[in-house]
Amino acid sequence: MIKYLNPSYVFKISGKLLNLFKTLLIPLVAIGLIFSLFLSPEDYIQGDSVRIMYIHVPSAWISLFGFAAISFFCILNFLFKIKNVTLIYKSLAPIGLTFNIVAIVTGSLWGQPTWGTWWAWDARLTSMLVLMFFYIAFIFSYKFIKSPDRSIKACTLISVLGLINIIIIKYSVEWWSTLHQPSSISLAKETTVHFSMLIPLGLMVFALFMYVAVIFLMKYRIETIRVKKKGFKKL
Amino acid sequence: MNFEIFIMNGFGIYVWSAFVFTFLVCLFLYVRTRKTLKKLEKNFIKEANNLSEEQFEDIKKQKITKEILISHSRS
Amino acid sequence: MLLKKVKIRLSILLALSVLSVLAIFLLFKVLEDNVLYFYSPSEIKNSDDINLKKKIRIGGMVKKGSIQSYERDIKFIVTDLKNEIIVSYSGTVPALFAEGKGVVAEGSLKDKKFFIAKRILAKHDENYMPPEVQESLNKDAK
Repeated sequence: MIKYLNPSYVFKISGKLLNLFKTLLIPLVAIGLIFSLFLSPEDYIQGDSVRIMYIHVPSAWISLFGFAAISFFCILNFLFKIKNVTLIYKSLAPIGLTFNIVAIVTGSLWGQPTWGTWWAWDARLTSMLVLMFFYIAFIFSYKFIKSPDRSIKACTLISVLGLINIIIIKYSVEWWSTLHQPSSISLAKETTVHFSMLIPLGLMVFALFMYVAVIFLMKYRIETIRVKKKGFKKL
Repeated sequence: MNFEIFIMNGFGIYVWSAFVFTFLVCLFLYVRTRKTLKKLEKNFIKEANNLSEEQFEDIKKQKITKEILISHSRS
Repeated sequence: MLLKKVKIRLSILLALSVLSVLAIFLLFKVLEDNVLYFYSPSEIKNSDDINLKKKIRIGGMVKKGSIQSYERDIKFIVTDLKNEIIVSYSGTVPALFAEGKGVVAEGSLKDKKFFIAKRILAKHDENYMPPEVQESLNKDAK
């Protein structure tokens, strides 16, 4: 077990995984796109605009999971001072922010033909926008606060508040009346998406998570090399 | 050629702009990250070579450093 | 056994979480009215202070068979299956606006039963399916 947590072992594995994931990425994205753009049926009311869901939903999930993950590692670091996990959350945060923006933009492009508006200040959309500010605040806290001790404290505070926001995002559509529809897919109840639409959705989720893995591994290597380079100066 | 499939009953503009936007953002992030990684690796080797013989032997004892040096000389 | 330092940090973290949950809860209490995107016809009926000048949003289902349109003017009934409000609107409606579907209307109340909308938004539900599936579902229902 200890072997797998060893930074040098992780670094070695990250290189091998990166090569594997890179080769898988292009076919996965291609299959996902063909299914979501051409092979899947249109919706009975939304028509073809349902296709936007196939990138909107995975992006939203990535941004939510991403924040939950960075908060987890940040709090872990705050409690036990495990330096290596800072590399993980530094690598994850920019990816989460990117997909948060993608989710908002694609959602807006879906909202115009469906609802008749690009944006509404309802609980779901607003809390998603708040998440974006949490991401930005988090990234600023580790980038621009020079003292590591203070930076961890700031990041932890943002993590705690952000995690509460994640819960608000999740339940916003149930607690309050919103323009955004309730979740179609959840662990608690049966899914309300027809099987023929779950296929492209599943493929896109898989392809986009593979993409996230590739970027994450590259960023992880970047952060590791940066740390090692700092070591040179001390010599 | 059949353009119906791209027009999507008028929804095409929204669908295509959503997909193209996402694709471009993802491509940009990928290219930028790759560039940074390659640059850092190169820089790392250069700095390592600038170190004195003694220091070089010293850093080579660190497994990660060794790994970076090996993986880069291969590519 | 946990280290003493870790214990201290853990208690700081727990205190922080409790405080933030409390703060956010209070924030939402204050903002209560703004958190709701729209009111249902029942909420309108039961509320005591109705401001006729204030811009509000009401939402519910478009009652089946209630849409009447004369050129650009349109009149329909919004229902939450308990209470109803008549909505009048002039202009184009979103493509997804239909009887039996969700709707959100933005405008002001004339009285508790009549609403003048400046803007109509269609509300989509969480069901996604191809048209053929919907048709066969309809047949089964009949």
